[in-house]
Amino acid sequence: MDLKEFLTKASLAHGVSGFEFMDVASLVRDAMDGLVDEVKVDLLGNVVGVKYGEGAQPRPKIMLAGHMDEIGLIITKIEEGGFLRFAPVGGVDQRVLPAHEVIVYGRRPLTGVIGVKPPHLTSPEEAKKAYKMEDLFIDVGLPEEEVRELVRVGDVATFKRQVSELMGDRFSGKALDDRAGVAVILVCLEELRKYKVDADVYAVATSQEEIGCRGAVVSTYGIEPDIGIAIDVCHGETPGVPEWRTSSVGKGPALAQGGNIHPKVFAALEKAAKEIGIKAQKEIAPAATGTDAWVMQISRAGVATGLISIPLRYMHTSVETLAISDVEDAGRLLARFIASVDAGFVKELKSWI
Amino acid sequence: MKDLIKRLTEAFGPSGSEGPVREVITKEVEPYVDEIRVDALGNLICLKKGSGGGKKVILDAHMDEIGVIVTHIDEKGFLRFASVGGVYPVVTLGQRVYFENGTFGVIGSEKLDDIKDLKLDKLFIDIGAANREEASQKVKVGDMGAFFQPAVDLGNRVVAKAMDDRIGCVVVIEALKRLKQTQHDIYAVFATQEEVGLRGARVAAYGIEPDVGIAFDVTSTGDTPKARTMDVSLGKGAAIKVKDSSLVCHPGLRDYLVKLAEAKGIPYQMEVLEWGGTDSGAIQLTRAGVPAAVISIPSRYIHSPSEMVDIGDVEACVKLCVAACESPLDF
Repeated sequence: MDLKEFLTKASLAHGVSGFEFMDVASLVRDAMDGLVDEVKVDLLGNVVGVKYGEGAQPRPKIMLAGHMDEIGLIITKIEEGGFLRFAPVGGVDQRVLPAHEVIVYGRRPLTGVIGVKPPHLTSPEEAKKAYKMEDLFIDVGLPEEEVRELVRVGDVATFKRQVSELMGDRFSGKALDDRAGVAVILVCLEELRKYKVDADVYAVATSQEEIGCRGAVVSTYGIEPDIGIAIDVCHGETPGVPEWRTSSVGKGPALAQGGNIHPKVFAALEKAAKEIGIKAQKEIAPAATGTDAWVMQISRAGVATGLISIPLRYMHTSVETLAISDVEDAGRLLARFIASVDAGFVKELKSWI
Repeated sequence: MKDLIKRLTEAFGPSGSEGPVREVITKEVEPYVDEIRVDALGNLICLKKGSGGGKKVILDAHMDEIGVIVTHIDEKGFLRFASVGGVYPVVTLGQRVYFENGTFGVIGSEKLDDIKDLKLDKLFIDIGAANREEASQKVKVGDMGAFFQPAVDLGNRVVAKAMDDRIGCVVVIEALKRLKQTQHDIYAVFATQEEVGLRGARVAAYGIEPDVGIAFDVTSTGDTPKARTMDVSLGKGAAIKVKDSSLVCHPGLRDYLVKLAEAKGIPYQMEVLEWGGTDSGAIQLTRAGVPAAVISIPSRYIHSPSEMVDIGDVEACVKLCVAACESPLDF
């Protein structure tokens, strides 16, 4: 797999939370084909690839979760004149919306713009304030009757944004939260060919993470894993943001530590990084991680969880920026960790300390 | 149907204290179902057996309503209270509440310099008692109260308290009465504790392990003066939900309901609700996942003691519910 090519395709694919089946799910499905023994799609639209291990039964079960959904917009009303009102799906920052190009997925995809009043016609008081989402609208350029034929309340829209390669190996685009996590899983599956693996690996591209980790809730229940590793993004260093809240882009994946993470899983991930000479950073998570790991941990009678994060700047905008080397390293580290898991380790995990 | 709406909305049933509502519904559905049971959270679960070869289908409507709970009784006999579910301070002012034992009270307010300071902790309930002793004979800390408003028939439209979600209960009851033949095992779940976090439906669905879940609940409208933008109107038919804050409905099931409505000539509208959730949000996440949808009854003034629905919309919801139960549900 060409990692840059996959990241490009994944970023351009659309899959607003709950609507992953419209596009991104099939991309992920195709990408998993050949890397796993079987691929299934479950009732909430999670794509689940299973790669069976070689260990003696009962084999350890490891679930990997990278969410394929993205934040986006949902049409709430068609106004007179054919302008579309919308609401957010997931944590959309209303301050970055004006002047964005979007694609509305009606009966066919329609390019639209989020228009605003020109500065000439804006009073000085108005100009100081950010637009509120309820005042914004999408203009697809068609007369109202045609809009009504093509668009229905409940249709979704995403940002229209090409990916960009910045200097170094920095890569920028929309939806890298968390298509980068899905890419990590694919790198890992490829890398696993190099190892003898005891465990069954359930590679899950989860749905609906941005609206409450809902895909992971049901897929974890269905899989009943011993170990659950979420792969998501964390905040890359950014001017104006305190250092302790961020990790460095390009300096390796971040391994989360805190109540959401089983200490022995953390230690094993750290060890795996060392063994293959990857620099890993630490991400301190005092409480909720806001990732699939949070719900995986309390599935059924409890799952030993870990969290690998890709440092990423400008989260929840259409210019999310990361380093490709971090994605690559995370995948290799994950594979090494998986290869180290045997029945004895799973037994040890039954105790937190 | 209007008579049933009146009886059900006037019944007492804040979240966790749904007993009186459960009684009314039990009597109403008994002749039309094969089994009735009440589970550990108080959900009323009624099974109408199918002819075979079908699915396990949950039709859910919640019995509970928002209300108040007494937290303290002061020396002069005034009751302090907290909310049960989403109670807006501004709509409670001047309202009357009643308790399950028939005690009535009026909601009063401390002196406020600015109406913006109006929070629930500035309010109290006056049950007409002279002191703590007298008050304590009628009400105890922990007792729940419901808002008091009789149902009013406006012709095509009806106003009542607790229309959220007794009108959903009415739809499901009415559908059970009209449903002649179905291949599916229909589990009518009259759920508890929706207003405090979809709690009844969560355990009911876990217990039933359904193949399909459809909830019937109220949704907001955008058709009143200067309302928040929303494309749902009173009188334009059943609302088929796409999304609210608790779920994105199963796309296959949702479109199946749309096609069913079109085929049967049942008026419908698409719904995106930007705030609030419904029991289907909990049903969907049951075990390894359940395809879930919502048929909503458009309602104005939700979470006030005067919630308004349109009888035509209610009728459309009943028809769509019956049509769904009679269909193969092979989405």
